[in-house]
Amino acid sequence: MSHEPHEGLRVPHRVVVVGHGMVGARLADELSRRDADGALDVTVLGAEPYEPYNRVLLSDVVAGRTDVAAIGMPTVDDGRTRVLRGTAAAAVDRDARVVLADDGTRHPYDHLVLATGAVARLPDVPGLGVDPGALPAGVHALRTLDDAREVVAATVNAPRAVVVGGGVLGVEVALGLAGRGLPTTLVHGAGAPMDRQLDHEAGAVLRAGLEAAGVAVRTGVRPQEVLVVGGRAVGVRLDGATAEPGETLGAGLVVLACGTAPETALARRAGLAVERGVVVGPDLASVSDPRVFAVGDCAQPPEGSRGLVAEGWDQARRLADALVALAARPRPVPPRPEGPREHLRLPGDGASPSMAVRLGTLLSSRAPGAAAGVDTRGTDVVKVKAGPLSVVAMGRCGTGRAPAPGERAVRLGDPVAGRYVEVVVADGVLVGATCVGDPRVAADLTAAYTRRTPVPADPAFLLLTPVMATAEPASSPEHMPDDATVCRCNGVTKHDIAACVADGASTKDDVARATRATTGCGSCTEAVCGLVGWLGVARKEAVTSG
Amino acid sequence: MTPAPLAAHPAADAPAPVATHCPYCALQCGMDLAPAAPGGPPGAVAADGREALPVTVAPRQFPTNGGGLCQKGWTSATVLRATDRLTTPLVRGADGRLAPTSWDAALDLVAGRLAALAAEHGPGAVAVFGGGGLTNEKAYTLGKFARTVLRTPNIDYNGRFCMSSAAAAGNRAFGLDRGLPFPVTDLGGADAILLLGSNVAETMPPFVQHLAGARAAGGLVVVDPRRSATARLADPSPGSGQGLGEGVHLQPVPGTDMVVLLALLHVLLAERLADREYLAERASGFDDVARSVAAWWPERAETVCGVPAEELRRVARLLAAASPSRGGRGAYVLTGRGVEQSAQGTATVTAAINLALALGLVGRVGSGYGCLTGQGNGQGGREHGQKCDQLPGYRRIDDPAARAHVAAVWGVDAGSLPGPGLPAVALLTSLGTPGGPRALLVHGSNVVVSAPNADRVRERLAALDLLVVCDVVPSETALLADVVLPTTQWAEEEGTMTNLEGRVLRRRRATAPPGAARSELWILAELARRLGSDVAFPTDPADVFDELARASAGGVADYSGLSHARLDAHEADGAGLYWPCPATPDSAAQESSEPPGVMARRRSDSSRGEHPGTPRVFLDRFATPDGRARMVVVDHAGPADDVRPDAPVHLVTGRVLQHYQSGAQTHRVPELERLVPEPYVELHPLLGLRVGVGDGALARLASARGVIEATARWTDAVRPDTVFMPFHWSGAGSVNRLTTDAVDPVSAMPEFKVCAVSVTPVVEPGPAVEPVETQEVRA
Repeated sequence: MSHEPHEGLRVPHRVVVVGHGMVGARLADELSRRDADGALDVTVLGAEPYEPYNRVLLSDVVAGRTDVAAIGMPTVDDGRTRVLRGTAAAAVDRDARVVLADDGTRHPYDHLVLATGAVARLPDVPGLGVDPGALPAGVHALRTLDDAREVVAATVNAPRAVVVGGGVLGVEVALGLAGRGLPTTLVHGAGAPMDRQLDHEAGAVLRAGLEAAGVAVRTGVRPQEVLVVGGRAVGVRLDGATAEPGETLGAGLVVLACGTAPETALARRAGLAVERGVVVGPDLASVSDPRVFAVGDCAQPPEGSRGLVAEGWDQARRLADALVALAARPRPVPPRPEGPREHLRLPGDGASPSMAVRLGTLLSSRAPGAAAGVDTRGTDVVKVKAGPLSVVAMGRCGTGRAPAPGERAVRLGDPVAGRYVEVVVADGVLVGATCVGDPRVAADLTAAYTRRTPVPADPAFLLLTPVMATAEPASSPEHMPDDATVCRCNGVTKHDIAACVADGASTKDDVARATRATTGCGSCTEAVCGLVGWLGVARKEAVTSG
Repeated sequence: MTPAPLAAHPAADAPAPVATHCPYCALQCGMDLAPAAPGGPPGAVAADGREALPVTVAPRQFPTNGGGLCQKGWTSATVLRATDRLTTPLVRGADGRLAPTSWDAALDLVAGRLAALAAEHGPGAVAVFGGGGLTNEKAYTLGKFARTVLRTPNIDYNGRFCMSSAAAAGNRAFGLDRGLPFPVTDLGGADAILLLGSNVAETMPPFVQHLAGARAAGGLVVVDPRRSATARLADPSPGSGQGLGEGVHLQPVPGTDMVVLLALLHVLLAERLADREYLAERASGFDDVARSVAAWWPERAETVCGVPAEELRRVARLLAAASPSRGGRGAYVLTGRGVEQSAQGTATVTAAINLALALGLVGRVGSGYGCLTGQGNGQGGREHGQKCDQLPGYRRIDDPAARAHVAAVWGVDAGSLPGPGLPAVALLTSLGTPGGPRALLVHGSNVVVSAPNADRVRERLAALDLLVVCDVVPSETALLADVVLPTTQWAEEEGTMTNLEGRVLRRRRATAPPGAARSELWILAELARRLGSDVAFPTDPADVFDELARASAGGVADYSGLSHARLDAHEADGAGLYWPCPATPDSAAQESSEPPGVMARRRSDSSRGEHPGTPRVFLDRFATPDGRARMVVVDHAGPADDVRPDAPVHLVTGRVLQHYQSGAQTHRVPELERLVPEPYVELHPLLGLRVGVGDGALARLASARGVIEATARWTDAVRPDTVFMPFHWSGAGSVNRLTTDAVDPVSAMPEFKVCAVSVTPVVEPGPAVEPVETQEVRA
């Protein structure tokens, strides 16, 4: 029953974490780092039999860009944390404060953390069957390591592939499969891929990029049925404005990338408030039970969620701080007064997170003043892992972006070159950006967005790599300015060398003796020889003509 | 033929030039000093109205510089006759001014005050601050003086600001810290060199020769938030990212170099480019490190460090292709202060080492990891006992066996040696505080310019009961002192320096010191005598070296096989000897006393049976107990003082070619001062336009610690979110008044290289910047 610490008797504070994915494992690691003296007793239940791995990289595994052996994530190895792999939580008895596992074991807790993640959403179409755990052969979601292995295996024999869903993950997978040489069609219901992050023009540039990489793109169509013969997928029948009646795409491999749904079954059964996800307050505690927390994809925090792993990692960091504080001082921490910073508050648009676990930025947690408010920072940068095709969106972006007062949006559209950049600026900082086809500009914009550094007075300068409008360094002696430094090591200018030649120097060595040019690193030897030659000729001509 | 000091060549018609090395950086370029004929040397060195210089400098062929010298080296003789050269002891009088006095009076005063303060407050009340420019002999004697005469634990040095993070990471990974564990000339044969946080084209220009091979192979990769002179060598065309032939410049957000390294390792593993065979054989801890970098896929890294993901992939592949396991000619990973002077400096160097190990580079001929030591004796300075936690031979002061050995050499009881003291920043911060030191002896350092959060340093120095500064010129720190003692420098003294490769070099005397300037060896011996110590303090540098060699015997940095005479003899037909160089070669009985893992390449080519020194360490095993390199998991935390709304711009600091460190020497060379006469701040035109600071206008920079002003220079070599300032000045443009004194948790090295500032135009110059008091020296 109750497990309250007593004065003078140190009883470890029991924390049970349900879920051993990217966020659950990170939380266990963060707790272990903070708890040097064993004030916490941590148990982690993980349904999958594997050690934690980087789910974000599954699309890279499919693309053959990442060795599957290289995606294992750190495991806690502190001799105290119990990690039970292949053990799923079956129920939570909140009155008794105990988690019941599917192997019959019981795990009492002082605090429970749900990190159950999300499951792939499957389209409700004939052919997929009723059991999401038993898709027909050749049909795969891409949520687990097993999924990725099976997709890769299927590429060997399938003649063609269809990827259903043109969000981030769908784009990544389609590019990856095409890169393996498999004829691949991307099927997307909206008018352009990645319409949640990209507006129409950016989407069109992306579409062209996909097609150039060998992906056939069908927009405005949905799967009407997955055709299955003998338990094995053979194609997808399309429906929609741009589909021919009864049109069918033959495919031995169908990858479903239709988004995710928070995994909340356990929380529902335990009677916790669940909407789209487990409803939590700014402190990540369930609004129904202060002893239960939720982090990562299964949680529904007040600021909303985009399904980015950076959000979950940031939550793990914050919750680890809070749990360690609770263990040290076993009273609930009062809710923090402030909400998230205004520009980081995301619209509670109710849309479910994309199936892709995208990424973001976890910046320093040590900046002074960071204590105030819920401190989520720059965790909403979406960057597609698409090799040479660069697609980045952050903050205020995409078709959903309604113009807001005080915002300035500036665009560069360059479809022929495969480039599109939009920046949104308010109060002198970048509040959103979209960048397709220019990786350097994208990297600069991300840095400016996540750190809120000052942007140029004219935001149009953000659209290009900011290089000063100066002439290229003169390559020939006569075009070099008189005050140009020729020998950096010794601070010798063209003027100095000219003076030297005027005094009679006729070789590099003469110049070196008089000015020390070329006597440092020697990099300027060629330039000095060139100058001496040209100046010598010029001098002779001057003498002749004079 | 043995080159010998000037004294060995009495007045000949044309005295032979003295072979020595440059007084400035750790490259220690070879130079010849010819005694100047009366009336002054020819050439442009002597300025109008200045005293004639006693020697003339000429470059000498030496492996590190290949016969080259930069402008600082060429003009180095000018510092010998700086117009304000200290030539007599100075004591601050009742009128508050420094006035000349005799050595006896000055030393009696210092000894008396030190004794009184120690008697009243305990031995820890006296602190010592050394420098990485001191010879091995001086650094050794300083540490010995502190531990045996003062018996204070509080001694540290300015190398804490330079080398401590690389040293901590190197010791942790390899069990031994030698800046370059290979001859610098080895670099020339590599296909790729990854250079992080080092602007060698300005800080040690002749070093650039050694990059030629990698440049020719298109393999010079420079990681720097600025398109520095060195970055231009790799990629002369800004923003192209295409690496026009000679390499690649990666331009990360300041403070995120580590993310670049983590992502490069991620790519090596994701693309199966790591040298698994090497890792299995020579490293431990790889699996944990591999898992830790799974979180740093290039696209995520890009969002933190601002380097495009595909550039990270390209560089990782380039390094792999150059690596021996994939048939390349070799690759090197080199770090400098840019990544080390960070609150995560040790971790960043560890990430660089992890990368080098994963590529299978370290301990292989033609490949490796190294750090580029900065100060002239930055290597030797960290080996002989002027660090707060260290005894000679790179021994730990908390190791009972080390204490016993060194105490025996010094003839004292091991129990009388103090334990570890405070590292530099903590030491400076504690000065004059309750329980903190009341007196400070400063040797070869200009802390009010070179330490971070300089205004606080100045405040702490003012709180002392006694400040004694030994220097060659009245530096900003000397001007604050109660007693100033004039010392010899460079061409006026004998000794040894250990350069960036761990090569022990002879510094030789070519001229007499001016006035009453004396060597620190003499000063410390005199103080020891006056303080009633019976510990012997030899003053002949050769004798000091012999004692140093005995004290180092059996330590990690073992010099016991070396002497001035042997170094002189060797230099005649070689180019210096590398440590470790133990006294006893070939003897199996002695082998066990060697530091584990230091595999001296033992040859019997020396007719005298002497140890040949160790140009390349780690070839057979690392100096760890199991002989394997230790890979350690590290992660990125970001700068301690990161940008925020009221300080939205990164400030990075560095050097310019014409000046050295606090500028105490180079500001006194008119030729150098003419080229770069005043502090300046580089900013991107886009930032300049945004904040209203025009090119050439005066800009005001404010951090959480201070406010300064400097002339703006517009350039696209800096990122628009970053400004750059060189740190060579005191006063209103002294950038270390802004820098943070947050330190690395392992090495205690301060985070000089990145902090957050605001940048505004100066409408009315002056008032916002508090003037700095300076004291005049009474003539």
